[in-house]
Amino acid sequence: GIKKDIEKLYEAVPQLVNVFKIKEKIGEGTFSSVYLATAQLQTGYEEKMALKHLIPTSHPLRIAAELQCLTVAGGQDNVMGVKYCFRKNDHVVIVMPYLEHESFLDILNSLSFEEVREYMFNLFKALRRIHHFGIVHRDVKPSNFLYNRRLKEYALVDFGLAQGTPDTKIELLKTTQSEGQQGSCLQNNPIVALGNEVSVSVTAPKQIAQQSASKASDKRSSSLSKIQSKQGRGGKEDSVHHSVQRSVFGERNFNVSSSTYQENSSTKLIKQSKMIDVSSRKLVTKKKIISTKTVSSGVARKAASGCPSNLACDCYATDRVCSICLSRRQQVAPRAGTPGFRAPEVLTKCPTQTPGTASIDMWSAGIVFLSLLSGRYPFYKASDDLTALAQIMTVRGSRETIQAAKTFGKSVLCTQDVPAQNLRTLCEKLRGTNSSCTRSKDDTHTDSVNDLDLPVETDKQCAPKTLGKEIQHIQSCQESDGALEVKATDMKGWDQVPDDAYDLLDKLLDLNPATRITAKEALLHPFFKDMRL
Amino acid sequence: GKRCTAQKSRTGRLKNPFLKVEDRSCHYRPFYLQLPSFPVLNYCVPKPYSPFEADKKHPSGQKQTQSKQRNKTNSEKDCGTPVQLPQRDKKKRGYCECCGKKYEDLQTHLESEQHRNFAQSTQYQVVDDIISKFAYEFVEYKDDTKKIKRTKCST
Repeated sequence: GIKKDIEKLYEAVPQLVNVFKIKEKIGEGTFSSVYLATAQLQTGYEEKMALKHLIPTSHPLRIAAELQCLTVAGGQDNVMGVKYCFRKNDHVVIVMPYLEHESFLDILNSLSFEEVREYMFNLFKALRRIHHFGIVHRDVKPSNFLYNRRLKEYALVDFGLAQGTPDTKIELLKTTQSEGQQGSCLQNNPIVALGNEVSVSVTAPKQIAQQSASKASDKRSSSLSKIQSKQGRGGKEDSVHHSVQRSVFGERNFNVSSSTYQENSSTKLIKQSKMIDVSSRKLVTKKKIISTKTVSSGVARKAASGCPSNLACDCYATDRVCSICLSRRQQVAPRAGTPGFRAPEVLTKCPTQTPGTASIDMWSAGIVFLSLLSGRYPFYKASDDLTALAQIMTVRGSRETIQAAKTFGKSVLCTQDVPAQNLRTLCEKLRGTNSSCTRSKDDTHTDSVNDLDLPVETDKQCAPKTLGKEIQHIQSCQESDGALEVKATDMKGWDQVPDDAYDLLDKLLDLNPATRITAKEALLHPFFKDMRL
Repeated sequence: GKRCTAQKSRTGRLKNPFLKVEDRSCHYRPFYLQLPSFPVLNYCVPKPYSPFEADKKHPSGQKQTQSKQRNKTNSEKDCGTPVQLPQRDKKKRGYCECCGKKYEDLQTHLESEQHRNFAQSTQYQVVDDIISKFAYEFVEYKDDTKKIKRTKCST
């Protein structure tokens, strides 16, 4: 197992042999494995390092982009930096300082309210920094934000899915017009199937990735972009394009491999160039379609064509689908990241490359905050995008979600009308122990299935009758969970969570990305008053 | 958005409850989800589990007994036989960005001629350029093992 992996790593990258003592594997994901190692530095000290071994199928441009994020933005403001990098052929190992860190799940319910405030403040510091450089992380979640409780140290890690904003300062993340932009099909890229199986690994408390190898992040995606990799001293210019697309759990993989629009003879292809998508792990051949005449009917096939079929039907915003709308091209939009942390505009396949793209990270930060305030992690539990969207609706309201989606060009139809929850009430109910719901642990007669039939929408059902009467409430906590260290004298600040906290949460979980709070603004929010920037 | 005019076509109705998302341009295929039941916030799920952890038995002290029982009683499906698993996870399927193709087995693909060629190509110059800017601060351990000359990475 692990021992063999370590041996193999030494074998693949022999430069590591006399430099590092590789101790153990501390993380494994789809695209990398992370090891803990020690190294002797010229300063005389022996230091712990994290070695991130990238999967050898990674394109050099992706690897370079990740390194560039670490070198340009990393090393300060709670953003992980890089110490060195070793390569032999297709094997690349990134060396980073090691930060010993907690398992989020283990400490979630023992953190004081003040620690939560510090945690969020430090997360925004990291996000402000990367967003300043035009980096969108796309996979913000606790396992990618290392936290050392004792030292009060933090590090945002893993730029394996990062994407650039239109004005990014990271050369290798520079992009052109986005794939999947509405309207014109002049820039459409047929996409080669990706077929990556997705597996969500459950975070075992003891097995947390140091440099999270994106545990649950399945595919990577970014958008059509053109990279001019200027090869140092007048080398040749590769022009590389990016295109995007990833499939999601449970969703059919709709990769398009056909290219031109067959029905259309006047379609001309120009220059084909290799395209790599810096996050979606696939190469695509770009075919620019110059002229496209109106398509004479003919039912398009499932294999989507390079151009959307613009045939109209009247299923729009109804409960119907027909062969016409189902034969249209799938909209391709980057949806990398971890389910449960994706913003609504990501879940609904909104094309990115708008200047507000960084707001998707702010949504994810809001989900982290939601976990901290409610004591639940992961908060959302969905294996596909639309289930995640439905779960968001139950918290933020279906009408509100639909309304916001309109602002970014999406029609969302939902058969359920669910009201928005009051965030304070929601978090307090989830954090507090409910006497009416608590089952004693040795109650083997309780059939959990019956629990599921309980109507839970009404506040009366589960709310502790003693809400507000602190003492009784605490007693019920102690009765139900001996492990919970709640003392009547010390609620760790949880008995007086200020309104500011929920106001900030509301602004982070703004369904409209255009008005969602930015990292810079969040740091100035009253919730953080008296904290030094 | 645009107006979408009617056309003759076969239609299907989505079953309740459902969620349907469509770009307002009507240029793309709608996508939808039909659920047996719409998600519900379940406050009764114990901490720290998700309030949407409804349809699953959350892990608890009884988990083991539960699965044992399931193995006894559920003879209809043998999908969970752990005996077959070890062989399976050996095969790592995926997509190679370097070669632009899917592979059924990672190790086999890495050894393929196409990939070997790419691995040894100059395509990695873009990575090496960045590496060349790093300061090398390591001192080699004096080991009894075979001494390896300190090689500057990939030159």
